[in-house]
Order: sequence, then C-alpha cells, then structure tokens
Amino acid sequence: MIEPDLLTYAYPPLLVFAAALLVLVLPRALGYAAGALSLASVVAVALFAPEGAHLTTTFLGFADIQPFYVDEFTRMVGGGLAFLGTFGVIYAYSSDAPRVMAAFALAYVASALGAAFAGDWLVLVFMWEIMALTSTLLVWHHGGDAVRAGYRYAIAHGIGGSLVLFAVIAQYAVTGSFAMVTEAGETVGMADGLPLLLAVLGIGVNVAFVGFHTWLPDTYPRPHFAASVFLAAFTTKTSAYVLFRAIPDGHLYLAYMGGAMAVYGVIFALLQHDMRALLSYHIQAQLGYMVAGIGIGTAIGVAGAMGHLFNNVLYKSLLFMAVGVVIYRTGENDLYKLGGLWREMPLTAIAFAIGALSITAVPGFSGFISKGMVLDAADPGYYGGPEYQALYWLLFIGAIGTFLSFIKLGYYVFLHGPAEYTVTDATTGQTVAMLSVGGACVVLGLPAIGWPVFADLLPLVDGVTVTEMDTALNPYSAGHLTDAAILIAVSAVGFKLIRKPLSKIDYSDPALIVNPATYYVGRISMLSVTELYAAVDSAVVGFVKRCYWIGNNPAIAADEAARRLPIVDVEERQPADGGRPSRIHLRMSIGTTVLVLTIVLTVILWLLVG
Amino acid sequence: MSSVELLPALLIAVPILMATVPIVLGLRFDRTGWSVTAITTAGMFAATAYLAADVYATGPVVHVLGGWGEPQGIGIELVADEFSALIALLVAATAAGLLAYTRVGGPRGNTFYAGYLLLTGGLLGLTMTGDVFNMFVFLEIVGLGTYAMISSGDGPESAVAALKYLILGTVGASLYLIGVGFLFMATGALNMVVLGDLVPELMAAEGEPTLLRAAFAFMFVGFALKVAQWPLHTWQPDAYQHAPDGVTPLIAALVSTVSAYALGRVMFTVFGPEFLTATPYLTEIVVTVGAVSVVAGSTLAVIQLDVKRMLAYSSVSQFGLIVAAYGLVTEVALLGAIVHLIGHGMMKAGLFVAAGIVALGYGARTVDQYAGLAGERPVTAAGMAVLLIALVGIPPSIGFIGKWYIAVGAVQAESWLVAGVIFLSTMLTLAYAARLLEKMYFTPASTLESPHAPDAVATDGGDGDADETPAVAGDGGRLADADRRGSPGAVSFGMLAVLVTVAVTAVVLGFAGGAFGDLLKPFVSEVFN
Repeated sequence: MIEPDLLTYAYPPLLVFAAALLVLVLPRALGYAAGALSLASVVAVALFAPEGAHLTTTFLGFADIQPFYVDEFTRMVGGGLAFLGTFGVIYAYSSDAPRVMAAFALAYVASALGAAFAGDWLVLVFMWEIMALTSTLLVWHHGGDAVRAGYRYAIAHGIGGSLVLFAVIAQYAVTGSFAMVTEAGETVGMADGLPLLLAVLGIGVNVAFVGFHTWLPDTYPRPHFAASVFLAAFTTKTSAYVLFRAIPDGHLYLAYMGGAMAVYGVIFALLQHDMRALLSYHIQAQLGYMVAGIGIGTAIGVAGAMGHLFNNVLYKSLLFMAVGVVIYRTGENDLYKLGGLWREMPLTAIAFAIGALSITAVPGFSGFISKGMVLDAADPGYYGGPEYQALYWLLFIGAIGTFLSFIKLGYYVFLHGPAEYTVTDATTGQTVAMLSVGGACVVLGLPAIGWPVFADLLPLVDGVTVTEMDTALNPYSAGHLTDAAILIAVSAVGFKLIRKPLSKIDYSDPALIVNPATYYVGRISMLSVTELYAAVDSAVVGFVKRCYWIGNNPAIAADEAARRLPIVDVEERQPADGGRPSRIHLRMSIGTTVLVLTIVLTVILWLLVG
Repeated sequence: MSSVELLPALLIAVPILMATVPIVLGLRFDRTGWSVTAITTAGMFAATAYLAADVYATGPVVHVLGGWGEPQGIGIELVADEFSALIALLVAATAAGLLAYTRVGGPRGNTFYAGYLLLTGGLLGLTMTGDVFNMFVFLEIVGLGTYAMISSGDGPESAVAALKYLILGTVGASLYLIGVGFLFMATGALNMVVLGDLVPELMAAEGEPTLLRAAFAFMFVGFALKVAQWPLHTWQPDAYQHAPDGVTPLIAALVSTVSAYALGRVMFTVFGPEFLTATPYLTEIVVTVGAVSVVAGSTLAVIQLDVKRMLAYSSVSQFGLIVAAYGLVTEVALLGAIVHLIGHGMMKAGLFVAAGIVALGYGARTVDQYAGLAGERPVTAAGMAVLLIALVGIPPSIGFIGKWYIAVGAVQAESWLVAGVIFLSTMLTLAYAARLLEKMYFTPASTLESPHAPDAVATDGGDGDADETPAVAGDGGRLADADRRGSPGAVSFGMLAVLVTVAVTAVVLGFAGGAFGDLLKPFVSEVFN
C-alpha cells in the first residue's frame, strides 16, 4: 500500500514530460506504453493525492509558489484530462501517428496538466505559455495546410497569452500576491478593473468567445486526426477551468457570452461539411455552456460547468476519435461524400452514437446530467434568477442545434444511402480507446447507479447534494425527463423541416444550399477578420518601409520627388548594385548619421537644459 | 594589499601586455596567436571566477592604482562590485569560449589575436574602471580593438564597415568625453563613488544644475551611439554583418553589452536615481529612446534578408529594451535590465556562432537559404532554435527572466508605454524568430529556386519530413545547389560544443531567476537606498 503522502512528490506534468522524452528514444510500442502509463498514474495521483498545496517553492524570487495544488476542482479537471490522455495515447498508437507527434502531444498534455494543477497565477501563466507553444508544435508537425493555420494559431495564442501574462502582473500589482486560492481553499479571483479585464480578454481567446474564436475551426480540422483528439480536449477545457479561477463569482455579461457562444457555435456547426470543422464549432458551443455556468456563478452553475467540462473532455474527444477512424479508413473529410458506413464499421458507429447521445444530452448518458445542471442553474423555474430567462432560451436553442447537427453528421456519415466505401472497422487499439472513453460516458450517466458517482466527483457537490444550496440533485425527475423529451421531439421535427425545403430543389442534397451558405457566411466572417488583420498589417509594414526608405535615403527620395515635378531636370542615377533584385536600402552614410546625432543631441540638450 | 585586490589590475594589464606576445613571437613562429590567447583567456576566466566568488562572498573589491591612497575624487581606481563582476564573467567566458570557434573557423594570424587580446583587456577595463575619465580611455581601447577586429574580414565591405564604426564610434566617445568635461567642471571630481555623493549635494545647492544636465545629455547621446540605439545604430548592422564570422559573436555579445553596462553605471552610480527622477524630461527621454529602438529595431529585423543582419537589428531592439528599463528607475527594472544584459549577450553570442557554423558548413547566409537546415544539420538547427525561442522570451529561459523583471518593473512604475513595448517586442521577436524557424524546420531545402525539380515543387511540405529533403535537393541538379551544401567537414566539434553549451546554459539559467536576484540585490538596493 502506497502512502498517499508519497503521491505528493509525483508532480504530474513532470511524469508526463518524462514520458514525452521516452517516446522519442524507446521503441515505438514501449514508448507509447510509457506515455499511457504515465497518464494513467496521473489519474491515480489526481484521485488519491491528499488535498492542499504540495512542492511549495520559491520561483523567480517570489516565495510561496505552489506548482502542485490539489482540491476538488483540480482533482476533477486534472484527473479527467489525464484519463482521456491515457486513451488518446492508445488511440494515437494504433492510428499510425509518428513518434515525434506523440512526443509533442505528451509535452502538450504535460503543460495542460501543469496549468490544471497550478496553485497560483505565476505557475499558471508559465504553463499557459508552454501549452500555447507545444500545441502549436503539435499542429505544425503535420506540415502542409497545418503550417499556415498553425502560424495563425500561434499568433492568436501569443496575443491571448500576453494578455494573461499582463493580467497576472496587474493582479500582483493590485493585490501584492499571486495566490489563486486562499489558505481556506476559497478561490480569490482576479481583482476588479484592469486585471479582470485583461484576464477575461486573454482567457477569452482560449475559450473561444464569439469574435475571438476564429483560430478554433481554422486549426483543429487540419492536423493529423490523432492530434485533433488531443487538441480538442486540452486547451479549451483547461482554459474554461482557469476562467472559473479568474471569475469565481460569475458575471451577467459572461453568462450571456456563454449563451451567445452556444447559439453561434451550433449554427455554424450546422453549416459545416468538413466533419472535424463541424466538431470544432461544437467545441465552441459546448464551451458556451461552461462559460454560462461559470457566468451564473451559483454553486449549481459552477458545479454543472465543471461537470460539463469533464464530460466534454470525454465525449468530444470520443467524437473526434470516431470521426478520425472514418478519415483514417476512407481518407475523406467531407461528410456529404460519405454514407452508410454503419454497415462497414459498426463499432465506430456505436462509439460515435455514444458520443453523439452524450453531447446531445439524452437521458442515460453523462452529458444529460451536466448540461441539465447548467440549464437548471439558468432556468428561473429551478434555480436561476429572472435575469437569466433569456439565457435559458439561448441555451435551449443551443441544445436543439446540437441535436440537429449531430443528427446531420450521423445521418450522412453512417446512415444515409448505401456505403460508398468498402473498408474495415477501427483497429483494435482505436476500438479499445473509443469504447473505454465511451463506456465512461455511459456509466457516469446511468440512472440510479452511475450518476451519483459522477455527482460525487463534482466540486461543490457532496454525494448528490449541492452543499452550498442544500438541495439534492435529481436529474431523472419527471420534469427533467419531460424537458428532454420535448427537446428530442422538437429536434426530430426540426430536422425533418430542414430537410424538406431542401428536397424541393432538384437534388435532395442539402449541400447545394448549405455549402454556399457556409462558404459565404462562415468564410467571410472568418476571413474578414484575418484579411482585415492582414490588410492592416501590410499597410503598416508598407508605411513603415516607405518611411524608413525616405528617412534613410533622403537624397534618392528627393530625387524621386523632384523627378515628378515638370520643370526640374534631374540627372539619371546609375544603379551600382549590379541589378540585384530590388530591396530596401537602409544604409545610412556616415555623414548622415553624424547629422542625425547632432540633431538628437540638440533636442535632448534643449529639453534638459533649455 | 591582498592578492584578491591585485586581480582587477592584473585582469586588465595582463591581456593588454599579452597582446604584444603573438606579434613578437610572430617574428619567428607562424601559429602562436591562438595558443597564447587560449592560455591567457583561460587564465583570465579562472581569475575572474575567483574574483567574482570573492565579491559575492565578501562584497566589492577595490584596487587603487598609483598610490593615491584614499579616494580624493581624481585617483585611478578599479572596482569589482556585484554588477561589474557579473559582466566581467560574461566577458571572460565569452572571450575564452569563442576561441573554440576561431581555432578552425578563423580568422587566423598573430595580429588578429593581438587585437583579440587588446579588445578583451579593454572590455574588462571598461567593466571595472572606477572613474569616468578612464571609462573614456577604455572606451577608446575597446573601440580600437573593435575596428581592428571588423577590418580583419576579407572583403572591401569589412574595411568600409570598420571605417564607419571608427568615425562614428570616435564621435560617440568624444561626446562622452565632453560630458566628462562638464561633469568635472561642475564637481571637480572624476571618481564615480565620489561623484555619486557630490551630485545630490550639488542638486541641493543649486536648484537647476545646468552643467550636470548638459553633462548627462552629452554622455547619454554618446552612449546611445555606442549601444546602437535607433537612429544612431547605423554603424552596427554593417559592422556585425561584414565582420568575419568568428568575430561577430565577440562584438555582438560584448562590445555593445559592456557599453550598455557603462551607461547603466553612469546613470545609477554617478548620477543616481535622485538626479534621474528630479530632472524634468530626463526619464521620458531615456524611455522614449529605448522604446523607439525596440519598435524600429525589431521592425527592421523582420524585413531583413541576411541572417546576420537580422540578428544585428534584433540587437538594436533588445538594447532598446534595456535602455527603456534603465529609464524606469525602479529596483526591479534595473535588475531586469542587468539580467537581460547578460542573457542577451549570451544568446546573441550563441546565435552568431550558429550563423557562423551555418555559413561555414552549409553555405547559407540569407533566411531563404536556411531552408531544410534542420534535416541537414540537426544539432546546429536545434541549438539555433532553442536560442531563438529563448530570445523571444518563452520560459524557461534566461530571456524570459530578464523580460519578466523588466515587465514587473514597468507595471510597478505604472509605465504602460514600456509594458506595451515589451508586449510589442515579444510579438515582433516572435515574428522574425518564427520566420527563421519555419524555414529551418518546415521548408524543404531549395525547392523554390530549382527550376528542374518539378517533384520537389509538388511536395507541399505536408510530408516533407527531414529525411526526404536531401533526395529532393539532390534532384535539384543545379551547380549552385551543390555549392550551397557547403562543407560539413569545416565545422569542428569545438564549434558545435560551444553552441550546445550556450543553448543549454540559456535554458538552465531560466531556472536561476532567484539566484540572479540574490546576487544583484546588494548593488541594486545600495543604488536605491
């Protein structure tokens, strides 16, 4: 029997990072085994390590830095991430993922775990930056399209990371400490004013606030499909958890931002035809529920958000795994070009079905519990204030949209028409990974048996009772089941309605309308942001280049200006550089420099002495 | 006088005297320069380490030359305190380590090594001098050494670059000397510590000490040129680019660094924080010069085609950050400036060594030619990548620590301009570092320029794994391509060892933020008490 105290020395990120190095040197099978084992042991550490701060040290001259902090939040987030990571590694092993990619993925997981277990803002911002770096490498490693997208990803996260860094510094300037939680275990939160603003904006990039989200659907569909499994789980979910640490008491605007994300995400998801792009927009939609729960800020809202975070790690990665198998076997990303695959790959279809039923919150699956908690927290009929009535409907519309898009995805990939591909089912490792994660989704949602276990895992919930509000959870009450039935009925009818007008066109393929709509709405909204940025960028660079050119070549600039005047006669200049391709000449002559020096000196003397 | 107190004088005198030895021996033997220099610099490094250990254990070591006795304001004094010992260590370590590169990579010849030793001695002198006039003398010795080093390159461009630096550097040093003159007129003293006491007295006596302000203006502009602040940086990119590859690391890592150290010394030991903050516009000027250099330098770096030139402009911007940190006049910012001074010197030395190795062994000098480097020269590319990432300031690295302290200082001083500039500089540094990284790691070698390789063009980079690139390049079939592969044999083990050591140190020191803080605390808190 291992003493629980010993576990406090097993710093999870270090374990996983060591495994990342091992993957590079060991034979393939052994290396992946080391990776999976390290993550499995992190699950154990997360479950059994005693609560409190461990490995407290001094860092950068600041005392009392807590890299390894365990409470019910970090236990759940860290444990969930590590659990998924374990099966992600197994999945990657049987998906022909290159070893270097696995090493990047494990380093990325290590940094995400570091952020999840961070006990103060300094460690957090450290891990946050490393996470941005390692995830960019993971994207880049695939090459091709992914390089450009990865560059945009890096810039988005560079900006977000810097904002968070400044938020942390500003927090230190205001409060004089980096503490994330008090000694009693209460979350401190960012101080009002500048720190809070910077933190929300910076974290907002990572949790894909509407308007800050363009990197997400841009990047996640492009790398290796096994890399997508990791990407889908770690950055956004860790960030949602950090958002709670920054704003523990919630905020009305934040809650409505969550509602907006849920609706925006599902609408654009519905318009996608690349399977992974569809799932990527769903990440944004599902994050909307977490942001809404955190924004509401009541105990049940936060607990629901954290539960949803945990579930999302599981089923969203499960969906990426299932879709990944389809891509692996068929080489096709476009869902309209697939069909009838359930006959060919029944196991993958089952895994997909479990994931889809969980994400759509069908009773009996884990998503039902957590999404129900967030909805209850918003619903004025249960625990929500009247100001959240509109939010409740936004989230409800989001839930319908989720249904519609997963009916669409499942229908066109697995059901619609005869199978156009003759392929084998998932490999053994892929099946093991998918069914293990899927099994967790089912077990944690089972009526009477499974869900109390899940509820007990949740922070702020003891047994099935929300301690702070002193109310017992009851997801399988008649009211909740009626709501779910209404949701399913509306969605089923809705899908019929959507399909019908489309079928009146010559071809009964919705792609005809949906594709152009996707193209014009989705691309334009996404590209206009990037293009605007590029235009501003090139305008600024052009302006700067021109200014420097004129500043550094006053003689030639004067020549050029004079040449344009009709009266002045200018001598032709002989290019003396052998006709090399035109480049900006920045050489300033000695005399000019001395002139500039004199001017600078004069100005400074005038300012200081005059 | 104990033996430790003799060390500062020996550290300066020995290399300058030894500089004559290669020339004298050169009358009889051909290749003695390297050995003499190696022995001298190794001894200097050991002595500096011993001196530094003593300084950090027991406090500053002062050596008074010529029997002047107690400080009277004009004696010649050499001082090793917490600040100068750290810089002296950087100088001695770089000078000794770089020899591993020049042994095979050149330049060769006895006169070159004479200049090398002269430069090293001058740098150590500039680091440890205790009075403002001798600072000028050492500034000139360093300048002379640098001119000689730059002009030891092959082409006519080296000569022009050296001439440019000669003229501009002398003008800068002269401005400094004029500043010293004003200072002497105002106070009648030259010793830094004495001046540090007299300046506040003078400020209390006169409301507006015009002479002091004029002195500061001249000194600051002189140093702004020596440190290569925009728009007075024009000598620096030419000098770095056209100096021989073996020399650039020394110049880039040390000459501007020690000048920036001297500026810090003058600002904080001679004039003192009180004068800096009490004089209207002064801190604003310093911060503005630094901030403008950061933005202009990194923007210029982004648009460069030549790697050495790009790194040179990057120095303009990094020193801008240091000058801006000086201008904040807070304890933490000064600490950050010192750490960044050390860190930048080390990282730039490593980067220029890497650029030299690539030019020598791979024949690549422009950013485009770096394509596919990672596959062909994995160690060099990895070393360069680590240093570039450290330069951006991604933890754990020495680059992060310096930037972190400066950022904290900026926030404490509520100088949002500097905070914004740090943010911008990180972005721009990322831009030019990422450009090089992408070329090295994700662009297959020479697909762009080879017209006879349709296969190579079809490779979209998606599967352009490292092991594939040589085949592609081989199919290129152009003569120039064959030339561009360079000669891997020309790269010695010593060169790679230096590069790897620097890269590893840059990362390891990333964990030593607290140690730097402890070492420098006595100096920083004495300045601000």
